[in-house]
Amino acid sequence: MSSLLKRGQILHGSNTQTAYEIETFLGAGTQGEVYQAKTNGQLVALKCYFPQYIKTDPNCQQRLEKAISKGNPDSNFLWPIELVFTDKTPLFGYVMPLRADHYKSIVDLMKRRIDPGFRELITACLGLVESFLHLHAKGFCYRDINFNNIFLNPQTGDILICDNDNVDVNGVSGAINGTPRFMAPELVRGDAAPCTESDLFSVSVLLFYMLMLHHPLEGKKEADIRCFDQAAMNRLYGNEPVFIFDPRDNSNYPVKGLHDNALTYWPLYPQFIRDLFIRAFTTGINDVQHGRVRENEWRNALIRLRDSMVYCACGAENFYDSEQLKEGQQQVCWSCKQPLIYPPRLRIENTIVMLNHDTRLYLHHIDKTRRFEFSQAAAQVTRHPQDPNRWGLQNLSDQSWTITLTDNTVKTVEPQRTVNLNAGIRINFGSVQAEIRV
Amino acid sequence: MSGMKRPGGELASRPLHFFWLADCSGSMYGEKIESLNYAIRSAIKPMQDVADDNPNAQVMIRAITFSTGAQWHIAEPVRVEDFKWQDVDADGVTSMGGALKLVAEQLDVSLMPERCLPPVLVMVTDGQPTDDFNAGLKSLMDKPWGKKAVRIAIGIGQDADLDVLQKFIGHNEIKPLHAHNAEDLVNYIRWASTVVLQAASSPASQVKDQVTSGVVPIPQAPEASNPDVDDVW
Ligand SMILES: Nc1ncnc2c1ncn2[C@@H]1O[C@H](COP(=O)(O)OP(=O)(O)OP(=O)(O)O)[C@@H](O)[C@H]1O
Ligand SMILES: [Zn+2]
Repeated sequence: MSSLLKRGQILHGSNTQTAYEIETFLGAGTQGEVYQAKTNGQLVALKCYFPQYIKTDPNCQQRLEKAISKGNPDSNFLWPIELVFTDKTPLFGYVMPLRADHYKSIVDLMKRRIDPGFRELITACLGLVESFLHLHAKGFCYRDINFNNIFLNPQTGDILICDNDNVDVNGVSGAINGTPRFMAPELVRGDAAPCTESDLFSVSVLLFYMLMLHHPLEGKKEADIRCFDQAAMNRLYGNEPVFIFDPRDNSNYPVKGLHDNALTYWPLYPQFIRDLFIRAFTTGINDVQHGRVRENEWRNALIRLRDSMVYCACGAENFYDSEQLKEGQQQVCWSCKQPLIYPPRLRIENTIVMLNHDTRLYLHHIDKTRRFEFSQAAAQVTRHPQDPNRWGLQNLSDQSWTITLTDNTVKTVEPQRTVNLNAGIRINFGSVQAEIRV
Repeated sequence: MSGMKRPGGELASRPLHFFWLADCSGSMYGEKIESLNYAIRSAIKPMQDVADDNPNAQVMIRAITFSTGAQWHIAEPVRVEDFKWQDVDADGVTSMGGALKLVAEQLDVSLMPERCLPPVLVMVTDGQPTDDFNAGLKSLMDKPWGKKAVRIAIGIGQDADLDVLQKFIGHNEIKPLHAHNAEDLVNYIRWASTVVLQAASSPASQVKDQVTSGVVPIPQAPEASNPDVDDVW
């Protein structure tokens, strides 16, 4: 139910004097109400603050002005475009891009109302850490990472970050302390104010939630709590935070029947992902200043995770775990429990990309100067048109590759041509060398 | 997408028991009781939306009415998705203490699930208790789940005994809400059934200087209209 603005009401932008006409009410939060508005035939979202909220957050307008003048860190942010004011009543708010309906909240992900595959899920995680990297690199701090501010397209893994009105320059004191379950322990305890380092903790919590559908600190200690009130939360998330998979302290290990998602998902991911979470929630809890896993580490790990995906014959997505193989353990599919059969793989420098029937390589993989570019495929796995048993890697880039066969013959693979997926073939992409393994 | 679902289930959650305690004494007769029925009916959808957006709680609702004696209006916990409000009538005196006794019985450790979120009790009244309020409150506070409950009170009109409601709340930082007209009542009921519900299960962004009830942090209540201007009661 809306209370602040009426359909048809006009608000004017403070920079452009643009007239925004209120159409429908989209929703309310603790700070204000959000409406769909129209300007020159274009739809935008318009947030209007509750007057009683503004009293508790007198810097709100100034903070927004700063965000608007600095501009968005990247296009995943539904960033404030300009401030708006009503004519007579002293209401104010801001305009931002409208979120399309096919973006769903993390709550939908948690309640399994959307169920993306692992690839899309990892892509969403990657999008998040890249966006927060961009935000932090600009000197901003987000302060309020939580389920309700992140949206994803389950078909593609594209993400959007909403509610950017708490964003401020790192170090500036603000009105919002964060959302319980996402707040870093030192914030829960009241020892520190939100900053980039506390955002990093929240990012790790969010990634854990997304990948494991569980909270990293809710194990036996949570099970032992009868009434989950403020005191209990302060203990669990603030005063006695113990990672549920802390290898050196099993006092908070997940309880079967209560924390099944954690027990199901944890062993399913490769060791390098588990190691990163272990660090995020052990060292990352104890060493607030220097112990947290940063976005660039998450980014590398998530790319590696996506490149580790293999399909079992049963159709389930699994992850190649080189560390497990080194220890001589056979990997079995989480779904059908049969031993995993690996497709050919490409060793690129010191990383491995699994070459599945649908694998694509991007500039990120084959050009050292274009790391993290995933917008256009540079190569794809294809099947020989006449011989369905022959698989190859097709050159979709505009550069020729030089390949060296096992007998040291050197050949050229021009754009659109394909190299067979045969063991031992070395591919020179230019700035990057790779080798096919079978 | 591979077409195969990822394993596992929904995010683990806990039950949250929500109780309406509605005054149906004779003084509520007429506009007030109609307004109360209207306000609760209007709060159902927002309440369901909040619950739907909340991955941490399974919300269960019950209701007690009190007039001459107290009785269950909704005795069996109803899932919020299925919650419907049958209108109540007004007649008799104000057995508020009896209502507290009744809810206290159900908050007994033996009847509550082992692991829960703090229960939420919302009392709506326009008068003062005609029975032993203190005995009722004591029986409630003697129960661990009663003590842990988030207690919210809405007083309707000039005769509401705000001191008694303050005692019921038990935390000085939280004041009873004083509804001067039907619109206030709708706003307060909606606030109690959405914002408070949310706060008791997955608190939203923590604003500095938020009131803490001791159980969970409660965001600000909406402001009442000016009592002198349109006090329709
Ligand atoms: N750009 C947008 N496009 C579409 N819907 C939006 C947009 N921004 C916000 N909304 C919707 O408006 C409602 C309120 O927004 P929001 O959660 O940002 O408010 P808030 O007061 O900041 O709440 P919070 O308590 O989470 O801080 C939500 O339902 C949200 O999904
Ligand atoms: Zn399988």
